[in-house]
Amino acid sequence: MTETTLLAAYGLLVMLTILLQVLGATRQLSMGYLMSSRDETRTTTGMTARLSRALDNSVVALALFAPAVLLIEIMGRNNSATLLAAQVFLLARIIYVIVYALGVPTIRTLAWLAGYAATAVLYFHAL
Amino acid sequence: MSIELTVLTLAALLQGLQFVLYAVPANREIGPGYTMSARDREPSRALSDRTARLGRAMDNHFEGLILFGIAVGVIQMSGQNTALTAACAWVYLIARILYVPAYAMGLRPHRSIIWIIGFVATMLMLLAALV
Repeated sequence: MTETTLLAAYGLLVMLTILLQVLGATRQLSMGYLMSSRDETRTTTGMTARLSRALDNSVVALALFAPAVLLIEIMGRNNSATLLAAQVFLLARIIYVIVYALGVPTIRTLAWLAGYAATAVLYFHAL
Repeated sequence: MSIELTVLTLAALLQGLQFVLYAVPANREIGPGYTMSARDREPSRALSDRTARLGRAMDNHFEGLILFGIAVGVIQMSGQNTALTAACAWVYLIARILYVPAYAMGLRPHRSIIWIIGFVATMLMLLAALV
């Protein structure tokens, strides 16, 4: 897998997280509410709420990871280090979503840090 | 420029339009004095239902646009543009345009169905990049 393929795979991970979050929200808030205009605020709890927060964080990570990968690709700076960084990023973010959903502390923060550091490595290679 | 890139540009412009559609009535309803402040407190006047819906429609398109932008970027970089990816791009854009009035008018379940169409179009593009 190249950096670009890893990016596509991460895009699918975020979409999978959206689906899981919607499934949980459907059970907690009812399909009727989800399809309404949501004019009154209703909130989820437990695993669904954690998936919501994991999703928000995943989208931020995506917004940082995607430009880094595309920059590396356009500038032709791909090397074994950038490939490893992209692999570490994807693995870290998969772990992140799982442990956040399960409510595991510490590992979640470590996974977040690994993903963050991997993205930083990509930007350094672009510079 | 490929169809996918053209559609991505149009989708980003749609986001700009959605911002205006939300910001103009929001400023009229809660006042520029509040919107220009640091917003340390909740506004004293509430947004109308329609304006709040336009705000949520804009927030939702940020997520959709990030994923769609990646799908287009990956397809373009790897030179995997096909008739399918071009069709998916158009479907995405049309769905996201229809999503705005559907949300503003509170159409149920049309808004959710339109959202699913845009979501599936993006997923197909990402899957097409991997196979």
